[in-house]
Amino acid sequence: MMTDDENRAAPERIAILEAQVLEAQRVINELHSRDALKTQFLSNISHDLRTPLTAIITHAEILRDGMLGELNERQTQSVAGIITGGRQLLDMIGEILVYAKGAGRQLDLNVSDFAISEVIDHVLAVNEPLAAKKGLSVNIDVPPNLRLRADRDKITHVVTNLIGNAIDFTDRGGLSVRASRIPVEEEPHIRVEVQDTGIGIRPEHHELIFQEFAQVDSTASRSHHGTGLGLAIARRLVELHDGRIWVESEPGIGSTFAFVIPCIVSE
Amino acid sequence: MTEPHVLIVEDSALVTDALRILFEGSGFRVTVASSVADARALPPDDVADLMLLDVTLEDGDGLELLMEMRAANAEPDTTIALTGYDDPITRQRAIDAGCADVLVKPVPVRELLRIARNYTA
Repeated sequence: MMTDDENRAAPERIAILEAQVLEAQRVINELHSRDALKTQFLSNISHDLRTPLTAIITHAEILRDGMLGELNERQTQSVAGIITGGRQLLDMIGEILVYAKGAGRQLDLNVSDFAISEVIDHVLAVNEPLAAKKGLSVNIDVPPNLRLRADRDKITHVVTNLIGNAIDFTDRGGLSVRASRIPVEEEPHIRVEVQDTGIGIRPEHHELIFQEFAQVDSTASRSHHGTGLGLAIARRLVELHDGRIWVESEPGIGSTFAFVIPCIVSE
Repeated sequence: MTEPHVLIVEDSALVTDALRILFEGSGFRVTVASSVADARALPPDDVADLMLLDVTLEDGDGLELLMEMRAANAEPDTTIALTGYDDPITRQRAIDAGCADVLVKPVPVRELLRIARNYTA
């Protein structure tokens, strides 16, 4: 039973709680507002960074192609370094831009019908020189007629990220890329997986690596010059397709990154 | 045979300087307009064979400029949109406005030259 003092205090307590709720709501709204500003800033700065980078890369390619005179071997190597660095920076800016769009809920699906082999072949063609430079084998098990309806650019982004990571974090052995059609709850899905024989990931980091700005603190990941957004973006793009992405991995043995997305498949 | 004439409408001097070197070094005659106002002030009797058009200019919309040029019979033979925005909406807007192609900056120079030569051959 409440005392008279407690009875008198109850309305005051309610008033205090209501004021606290209002204050909490105000803080939440302000945080949302600031988060939106930050996202817009990221989007603007990413776009603005492309302009000077365009000039740098274009000038370097003009030099590389000998349009201003033939270069000697060391000059050619130096200019190639500018181009490679510039393109890497461009990729990172692109990632930040995709992240900013995702955070601002501005990502739309532009769906078309395509074969997953076309995407995987394209990504491997771009990345194979890097794998070859590291002496890595590349195995492909992708049926040529496995078709799906999805956003081709976004699926390409995901596959590029997974294959790029596999090459970056593997020094010996190689990678395998597989695609298959599987039922999930009786609905047709497509499963893509990229397996590597790289350094692997500790179980406690399997979820962390899909979080924005997360990079597992190890010598290997510190030497990997990413934005820390790659897998977070991959997850966002897969989930935009109502799909799921995950990793199975054992340190020292390797990793398998896989995603499934629902699709209309014809073979 | 006269050299093909390319008009570059782009508000970044960093980018136009690079493109001028690229195209002049590859046998093109180059005109640069750094704004919508600059492009409007170009002589009407010297219409370019190819226009590389930045979609977003400081003083206006590049695609509206293209439609304005068309209305004034000053439209280059071919227009290619050059944009920093790699998104389907910008792409579709450019195609709807009459651009023959939409390229996202930075375009590798060999590819840009190949495309420019195709359209001006």
